[in-house]
Amino acid sequence: MERLDFRQSAPLTMGVELELQLVSSRDCDLTRAASDLLSQVAKRAHAGEIKPEITESMIEVSTGIHARHDTLVQELRAIRGVLLEVAEKLNVGVCGGGAHPFQHWSDRRIMDAPRMKHVSQLYGYLAKQFTVFGQHVHIGCPDGDAALYLLHAVSRYIPHLIALSAASPYYQGVDTAFESSRLNAVFAFPLSGRAPFVQTWDDFNGYFGKLSGAGIVDSMKDFYWDIRPKPEFGTIEIRVCDTPLTVERAAALAAYAQALARWLLIERPQRISEDLYLAYTYNRFQACRFGLGGEFVDPVSGTRRGISEEVLETLAALAVHARALGSEAALGEIEAIVRQGNDARWMRERFADSGSLPDLVWRQVERLRAGC
Amino acid sequence: MSDLFFLPDLTSAAAQLPWYALLVLAAALAGEAAQRWLRLPRLLGWIAVGGALGPHALGLLDPEALDALQPVLDLALGVVLFELGQRVDLSWLRRNPWLLGTSVLESTLAFAAMFAVLLALEASPLLAAVAAAIGISTAPAVVLSVTRDLRAQGQVTERALLLTALNCAYAYVAVSVLLAWLAREYAADWRVIVLHPLYLIFGSLALAAAFAGAALGLLRLLGRRRDAQFLCVFALVVLAVWAAATLNLPVALALLGFGAAIRMLDRRRLFVSLDFGRIGAILLILLFAILAARLEWELVPAGIVAGGVLVAARFAGKALGVLALAPLAGLPLRKASLLAFALTPMSGVALVLVHDTARLYPQFGPALAAILVAAIAMLELLGPLFAHFALVRAGEAADEGR
Repeated sequence: MERLDFRQSAPLTMGVELELQLVSSRDCDLTRAASDLLSQVAKRAHAGEIKPEITESMIEVSTGIHARHDTLVQELRAIRGVLLEVAEKLNVGVCGGGAHPFQHWSDRRIMDAPRMKHVSQLYGYLAKQFTVFGQHVHIGCPDGDAALYLLHAVSRYIPHLIALSAASPYYQGVDTAFESSRLNAVFAFPLSGRAPFVQTWDDFNGYFGKLSGAGIVDSMKDFYWDIRPKPEFGTIEIRVCDTPLTVERAAALAAYAQALARWLLIERPQRISEDLYLAYTYNRFQACRFGLGGEFVDPVSGTRRGISEEVLETLAALAVHARALGSEAALGEIEAIVRQGNDARWMRERFADSGSLPDLVWRQVERLRAGC
Repeated sequence: MSDLFFLPDLTSAAAQLPWYALLVLAAALAGEAAQRWLRLPRLLGWIAVGGALGPHALGLLDPEALDALQPVLDLALGVVLFELGQRVDLSWLRRNPWLLGTSVLESTLAFAAMFAVLLALEASPLLAAVAAAIGISTAPAVVLSVTRDLRAQGQVTERALLLTALNCAYAYVAVSVLLAWLAREYAADWRVIVLHPLYLIFGSLALAAAFAGAALGLLRLLGRRRDAQFLCVFALVVLAVWAAATLNLPVALALLGFGAAIRMLDRRRLFVSLDFGRIGAILLILLFAILAARLEWELVPAGIVAGGVLVAARFAGKALGVLALAPLAGLPLRKASLLAFALTPMSGVALVLVHDTARLYPQFGPALAAILVAAIAMLELLGPLFAHFALVRAGEAADEGR
């Protein structure tokens, strides 16, 4: 049995992956454009990475490793610049958002690559319904044990990140009533949800060994958890965020996660136990359904209050860490989201304004281009 | 026998037989057969049935029946061009000016190549120019129908549609101008030479803008009801076809412009999903079948060699134009060559023009007509195949002929 080695990485560094939508400038529906776009991008020198994803109407961009928020924003903007330049030339729209508001999943075409074909065969319609767009945030950890501590400690704050990033109120042409409908598509996968409560990297290897021995998983890629360790990077990967409508917001969310990680790893404000997960699915549902207006049940005290209150209080606790990390501006943006509303709210307002979902998509395209 | 008064009177019934319905039925069946068993584009089946039933083969459809269907043909053409206009995004030309360059270059080279071949075949320069101008245009109905059949999306598809819309516009303006000169036997003075094309272009655009404005106004009144929107636009397309014909404007350019203007003026994207659905499909079948029925297949053998040279010259011109600017326009060479194939279909409407010209101008001569008819016949069959396989090979088809 192969052992997973946790590679050491500089603690509290961060990296971001964003899955972006490719839409037709004609009808604003998702369109097959990834290969055409990537073949043109490949000809240009550019920052970060721009890669294919499971369908032809999706691409993934990822940044390098950053210790600071300002360099992260810079790199994300540079990637956006290259991408939009090529997209303009090909007449393709690129936008954020956790799900396409009105695409029909049966129209999607799976990318022509062995792993993609395998996933499609295994999961059938789920693979196509999984045409949703998320942001993944990597946080560097000194070792596997610290990674698992951080993974469990951060799980309490998952509803914050869901509510702050939520940008998928519309799905398959209807208002889902959810602020993040995207996560519902993720929950359908057999290995989704939360990681098991193991606290050391040795125990994690034991768990992984049992599952792979039973033929349930081949690699870490088969886990669709909300947070999963990424041993080859030496990080934990937070996967609950919808892709925001701007890269600036994506960077701010990453900085929030980074500050949380610093606070949790340095001050260790909570003892971790299985009990942390008591209210996990309830809180997560509240965040998906109601966004910042949702309720949050504290797993330790059992008290309940609003998610926005929770976020504001956490921001106060993070202030000193934000100073140390140089991310005060980013946390200021997070506070602005709490006060002014998340992307899901923006999308609902735009739709109320025009009554046209294609028009909404095009405004998302323009929003990504303009930045915040 | 007079007792059996209730039996039908078959002789008089035959005279009133609705030929167009039989034509649609037979063509639809053949189309399905082409797709299911031969894995070929449906429209080849439609063309085959039209050609077989037409006056130049089995003769079940006589010239009178075809003439009676002329209004349907005009309408079908109007609908196709309107839909094509709606699909193209002219602002793309601003963002990628090399596409406009590609369009001008491929049209010019194709024209020049065909013109040279025809001159070598000893056609008179003006007639050669008319014929070469006809050949500039890619068949909008073929490209649209193949794209839709395959549910194709991607750069080859989008560019084929855009270049088709543009080369149709050039072709129709050029043909109208040249025919007018031909009518006046070079006698036109310079004012006509300058003003006529201006009238054709700006007249069509003004008509297009007026209809688009009216359509959007009506659509806003009607709100979001799909059916009402569809009926309203359909009626306006019919009216626009009539108005363009009445004003001596090229119907094709006016309708292309109408579609494109609707798209440009619809800033809130309320009507992006407007299409003619099943009615559009029936019109397409009739369009292909009627045009194929009119083709004088018996002329093909006489013109086949020269026609083949003409077809090759046209393809070479288009391919050279597309390939030369592909790197600048942001298209890999492999896809650019597929794009060149996607542009091969020649409009069946060319046939109508050839017909009219040949009838009006005896100097057109049977030899030239035979060459053009042979070229059109070849492209009628090869064009859809090339376009089909180009889109499939480019990996842009959702349904690969299934």
